[in-house]
Amino acid sequence: MFSLRLPIPLEKTLITSLPKTSTTYSAYSGMTRFQVCHRYLSNSITKRGTSVVAFQDEVDGEIFVDAFQDEADGEIFVDEDFLEVDPLPVELQPELMPKHVAVIMDGNGRWAKMKGLPTSAGHVAGTQSFKWIVKLCYSWGIKVLTVFAFSMDNWIRPKVETEFLLNLFERSILSQVEECKRKGIQISVIGDTSKLPKSLKSMIANAEETTKENPKFQLILAVSYSGKYDVVQACKSVAKKVQDGLLHLEEINENIIEKELETNCTEFPYPDLLIRTSGELRVSNFLLWQLAYTEFFFNKKLWPDFGKDEFVEALSSFQNRQRRYGGRH
Amino acid sequence: MDFRDGAHNLYHIIVASLHIGKLRYLAVVIESEEAHQTSKVIKLLQWLDSVGVKNVCLYDMNGVLKKSKDTIFQIMKNAKSIEEVNEDVTHHAPDHMTLEFVSYVDGKEAVAKAANLIFVENFKRHDIGGELDHQILLESHLNQALQIVGCKGPEPDLLLVYGPVRSHLGFPPWRIRYTEIVHMGSLNFMRYGSLIKAIYNFTKVRHNYGT
Repeated sequence: MFSLRLPIPLEKTLITSLPKTSTTYSAYSGMTRFQVCHRYLSNSITKRGTSVVAFQDEVDGEIFVDAFQDEADGEIFVDEDFLEVDPLPVELQPELMPKHVAVIMDGNGRWAKMKGLPTSAGHVAGTQSFKWIVKLCYSWGIKVLTVFAFSMDNWIRPKVETEFLLNLFERSILSQVEECKRKGIQISVIGDTSKLPKSLKSMIANAEETTKENPKFQLILAVSYSGKYDVVQACKSVAKKVQDGLLHLEEINENIIEKELETNCTEFPYPDLLIRTSGELRVSNFLLWQLAYTEFFFNKKLWPDFGKDEFVEALSSFQNRQRRYGGRH
Repeated sequence: MDFRDGAHNLYHIIVASLHIGKLRYLAVVIESEEAHQTSKVIKLLQWLDSVGVKNVCLYDMNGVLKKSKDTIFQIMKNAKSIEEVNEDVTHHAPDHMTLEFVSYVDGKEAVAKAANLIFVENFKRHDIGGELDHQILLESHLNQALQIVGCKGPEPDLLLVYGPVRSHLGFPPWRIRYTEIVHMGSLNFMRYGSLIKAIYNFTKVRHNYGT
């Protein structure tokens, strides 16, 4: 499990008057000295009937939301084994599984607002849904999952939130790289990385390099990405090839541009199924070129509430249409 | 008063309350097999005209609707083609409909043509002593070049898909960044009530656009 840190006012937390459970000395990311940490236990968000417990640390008078752990039957367990295979539900047929699923993970902020929590808590809860869908795709024979982790349009959000999101993203991936390598999960990142913090750029390069061999499944993370940016950078690549004498102007057509899109990092660049949560009915500048024949599934659930049942519903709907109307046009 | 009168009156009330001004440009995607049913397409356009939707882009992948253009304009006498309208199509007076006919070649192929145009200009400039800079290509340049190659239509606010599959079937990708997409089912079973509902729901939605 990962840790994240964001100072939030005490009244915004769910800390009750429960006693301290431990006093430890810990070093935190970004801090250069050991500090006394008083850990409080509090009940947090209930997701799908499971109590999710948030440990909240008071450090020098500030409260930080710590890692979430799932609590089942009174025992707290850490989901280090999130990549253990989940059996395919009986209502799904393995031969009709989409090869490439894309997801717009929308609704973290609204979810948090509904629960009276800070936006950061929504993003943290959203990472649990993200882990679930990675596990299910990996388990059920889907070859590629592309998630819209951070849009170019999101840069207009408050700096505190964008920094938190990127930090959350960095820590989430960092904690899972070795596990992904062991399980044959290739991590790829698409998007304009020029605006990302140095540490994140370096982490991305390391994750891609570490996981590139013998993939059974590919996870594509769209970070600082937009569909228009992808087309423009593809056209720039084509122009460079013409300049370098590798292509003639007369040869340029849509297929040549397609080969330069950032989704050329995968054998299956065109999603068969796009899922968007939170009830929004738009693609919001995601994979514009690649979605020509993609089937859309818009679900009203907010992303932190999107789980196995909802994913099965999306896949069932896809498979029903495949049975009735066949594959791509 | 029978059930139909009641439904008709209800639709009348809903239509009267629509903030139709929010729907500046509507796209209708029709699966090419179904697009051959010109009478149904015309009926759909008449419904749209009656509720105040004046700017419509009709798309099907294979260009069937383009071939039906003349027939459609013969029946829709108050409609003009987007090529005939000089001013910004979303700002024209609502006394006539504007129709745009689009197919697959106006999508990805058009982007390739537009990119080619930029490359040619760039290399021409280089040949006469200017700088050759492949990085000069920006989103705004592609936008301009697309206008030059004939792709003048704006980004639709709402896109209705008529057909068996919930997909936009290759509608020009450059134009659907924030377009709301609603699947309406088969054109064979199109219903006025469903159309009103889709438009009504669109006019109620608050758009965040990344925030």
